[in-house]
Amino acid sequence: MEEEDADEYKEPCNQCAAVDWGISDEGRFYCRSCHNVIERTREVVDMSFTCNTNRISRITRQSRIRKTECGYVWMLCEGFQFILQNQADALLRLGVTPQFKDDVLCQMWRLYLQKSQQGYTKNPIRSLRFRRAALDSDTDVDSAAESVLSSNFTDSGSVLDSSAGSNAESSSDWMGSDRSSAGTSSSWKRSRSLMTMKTTLALIHLALVWSREALTLSDLLRLVKEGHVPYVTAYEELPEEMKLCGPDALLFHVERIPSHRSVHKEAQVLVQYLQLPAFPPIVPEALLHPAPLSLRYLTDANLPDELHRWVCVLMDRAGMADQERHTLDGGSRPVLPRYDLQAAALIIVTMKVMFGLDDHTEWDLSNKTGSHDDIGDLFSFRKWYKLVQAALLDAQQRRNQDIARKQWKGKKLFFTDKRDRLFMTKRRRISEHVQMCLKRLSSCPAAVHYGGPSSFQFCWGDEDGSDGPSLLHTKLDRVVSLSNGFKTPLNLNYWHPPLRPCNPRTCTSHYPSMEPALPRSFVWLLQLFSFILDVEAWYLFDEVLEVERRVFGIRTPQIGQQLETRKWLRTEKTSTTHQPDIFYQN
Amino acid sequence: MEALDEYLGPPVVLEDESDSSDCSSRKRHKSKLPLAKSMCVEARVESGFHKTCRICLEHVREAMLHHRWQEAAEYMASYTQILEDRNKIKAQPHKELVWRISTEILHHLPNATVKDYNIIYEQMKHSGVKHYLMICLEHSFHLMLHGDIQAAKRQLSIAESWRHGKESVSQLPRIKLIQAYRSLLDYIMWCDKKSTLSINNSFESDNQGMHTFFRLAATNLQDILKNPGVWDPFILCYVEMLEYYGDNEEAQKVLNDYAYDNSFPPNPNAHVYLYQFLKRHDAPDKKLMKVLKHLHLLVPSHELMLAYSCLLLQSEKQSHTQKALGVLLEMLDFQCWRSNLDVWKCLHAVIHQLLQQEEWATSVQGQMALRNDWWPALHFTSFHAKKDLEENSELFKVKASLAEILCPGRPLRYTAETQMLTS
Repeated sequence: MEEEDADEYKEPCNQCAAVDWGISDEGRFYCRSCHNVIERTREVVDMSFTCNTNRISRITRQSRIRKTECGYVWMLCEGFQFILQNQADALLRLGVTPQFKDDVLCQMWRLYLQKSQQGYTKNPIRSLRFRRAALDSDTDVDSAAESVLSSNFTDSGSVLDSSAGSNAESSSDWMGSDRSSAGTSSSWKRSRSLMTMKTTLALIHLALVWSREALTLSDLLRLVKEGHVPYVTAYEELPEEMKLCGPDALLFHVERIPSHRSVHKEAQVLVQYLQLPAFPPIVPEALLHPAPLSLRYLTDANLPDELHRWVCVLMDRAGMADQERHTLDGGSRPVLPRYDLQAAALIIVTMKVMFGLDDHTEWDLSNKTGSHDDIGDLFSFRKWYKLVQAALLDAQQRRNQDIARKQWKGKKLFFTDKRDRLFMTKRRRISEHVQMCLKRLSSCPAAVHYGGPSSFQFCWGDEDGSDGPSLLHTKLDRVVSLSNGFKTPLNLNYWHPPLRPCNPRTCTSHYPSMEPALPRSFVWLLQLFSFILDVEAWYLFDEVLEVERRVFGIRTPQIGQQLETRKWLRTEKTSTTHQPDIFYQN
Repeated sequence: MEALDEYLGPPVVLEDESDSSDCSSRKRHKSKLPLAKSMCVEARVESGFHKTCRICLEHVREAMLHHRWQEAAEYMASYTQILEDRNKIKAQPHKELVWRISTEILHHLPNATVKDYNIIYEQMKHSGVKHYLMICLEHSFHLMLHGDIQAAKRQLSIAESWRHGKESVSQLPRIKLIQAYRSLLDYIMWCDKKSTLSINNSFESDNQGMHTFFRLAATNLQDILKNPGVWDPFILCYVEMLEYYGDNEEAQKVLNDYAYDNSFPPNPNAHVYLYQFLKRHDAPDKKLMKVLKHLHLLVPSHELMLAYSCLLLQSEKQSHTQKALGVLLEMLDFQCWRSNLDVWKCLHAVIHQLLQQEEWATSVQGQMALRNDWWPALHFTSFHAKKDLEENSELFKVKASLAEILCPGRPLRYTAETQMLTS
């Protein structure tokens, strides 16, 4: 065959004018008499790669069996379902109750499919009908799709009545669909853009809140970042029969982990979209309630346990102890609370009340406590700051290194079509070889070692590997005083940054402009908690402002009004006449 | 994502009820100025993947700057995932980074072998078309430096025959460079053969092979040298080979073209090579002077200017003597010849010869006119006097004798008066 190809080419060689061509190993034409290599190459057609698992073929209406051999078209929501299932299983392995997956997440997912008309509905989106006619008039997607949806999701096997949903036309997203069809109607586009990888996280968060599990959104995102919950390489765990193909496949390609804010927004919108009923109430015993959650953060930040009582006092005053504040109920504008941020903000405001955090008071208090090591079990802000700052720097550096070493490309290759596969295979080969060479030479493992998942960022105590001695048992004796039988903070100053009206739709946060004028202790405390929660400092700052608004009972900042210090501790602005409850009885 | 927001309408925002009352009480003017980009907007521009790669690169840089090569290698191993970026345009500069940084790290790791270098070079070569040729060239340099001439030549031959449509056309200068270096390698192998020839002068010596290398190198070099450029090392090899085989005319022609072709960039070395060749072959003085004249135009401070002025002096023509004066003075304008005895001696001889002519004063004045302001400070201060006396008393004598002639009427402190030195 080679000789035939070579013989067909009859051009004379431009160096020796002979017509005597051969083909080298690489497929290039060369002149046999002078060994001159020219540009012409032999076309090689590779028939080895066939993508027939994605070709649309005939599937009859009655059959409920998946025919994978002769090609089966999968729907996008099926892919996402697998991924959701894997994520839920990972959470179950970490200790979440099984009801989270079976009763809550599964139902929410079905509700979602129903609302977005991708399943369990008698009226699917029919926008593809004319497209399907263009492709192949005989094809039909059968209700086998329904069996996929219902049968493999729950282990308990409880299946919604799929007969109500069995219809041959419920096909809204095609994988391997005819990309050249330009007539995508707007409704198809809409349905296509509803489900993304971020939505899986939002759904899981809602299900966790409903189940009142102790995992906050920041915990969930941390588990995702550390790889305990599949997200970045979630496509690897899709079954073998599901071949990703076409531009839709890029929905499964992840190059970023969404921020707290964006997932929260998405979850908020989902609550509205799914028209969920009232959530189970977050009672004070539930772990998402600020009372226990703030205790957890206090422990993580190595703050004394005594501070917790003050946090609860402040919580009462802000009206946040009430479970209704934290429970999502129906209604036109349900507000999904940010439990983790609220708890952290409460702690910050408490610290502000107790220590002033104006770069003077807290150090004065520390000086009064004594600067020697023999302060015993008294809490000193200075000692705490030094301890925590050292640990924080180390932890930030470690986190930075982990970010640098994170591997975003999974072991399984991700490609969308044949040509893409060739590209990615070649690149993968190059990258792997270079990586192996360097690894061998450096003789050190470069992979990130994530320890077991933990609720805490720091470890305080006397064991090996701890970040420092624990200050949880220390007393606040020098910070509070006894007067009239009530314990009151020694500090009587409270500062608040000036506020101004702005348009909530266009402004996100004024923190960057305010930050240079804020006291450094306060800014540092913000940074500490934003590190613990892994959110941006301005995001937490807004929550702090929100909590302060609640504490002082003001609705919105009035124009031109300056909040004065000290007055607020003695008097009440609202009409209620109960005692200023910064004090609490011993 | 934002698509969901678009579907469901305007974003759900928590609004306090009293906001609306505020709106009515004041007129809000919508600002016509462009809204400044809020700093709190989440960075949509950079994905997590790119952020990882950027931070990884920073760590690599830190490690390299502090010479922590093991650490740099570790981070580089994590960085290679950037090569799998789906965004082909963004990945392009990173390929070059990976190539260059990896080879730099390998230079400093004690256990790096040639095999490792080969792996890196081979892999990175095929990662992109834009730098295929450069990597080939660097690879062959590396092999050359490690003594493996054969492998280096093989690499360059493969690179020479690389064709990739428009890319290879746009990278034509690089291909020329590769051809030139391949010829250089042929020359090196020719030299090896020549040295073996001289050692064992028997029929074992590979005369035929030597001639093959010569032929290969020569044809290529002839081609290369037609292109304007600076080809110093290559031309020397070519001339050496030609001289060996006795083809002096060709050699001279090549050197002449190299020196005098206007399309080539001005290159003083070309004239130096030509001069050296002519000297080797006992060319007449006139020819030598002609070459050196051109060199003088290019580099007045060249060391061959001394030879030039000597030649001019020997020719015993009046105009030449004056020219020699000019040449030497221009040489002495440069600081590097300040304390050179030979130059001053030559100047002394020139002045001596000039003194025998009439109107020597005008010619000297003519040459020194431009220099009167700053020459005394350059050569004839008391500091120079002290220094020269300490270092080289003969120099002092020569300079002192010339001082008055060159700068007449100026109060020079270039004297050896004892009271000045002891004070």
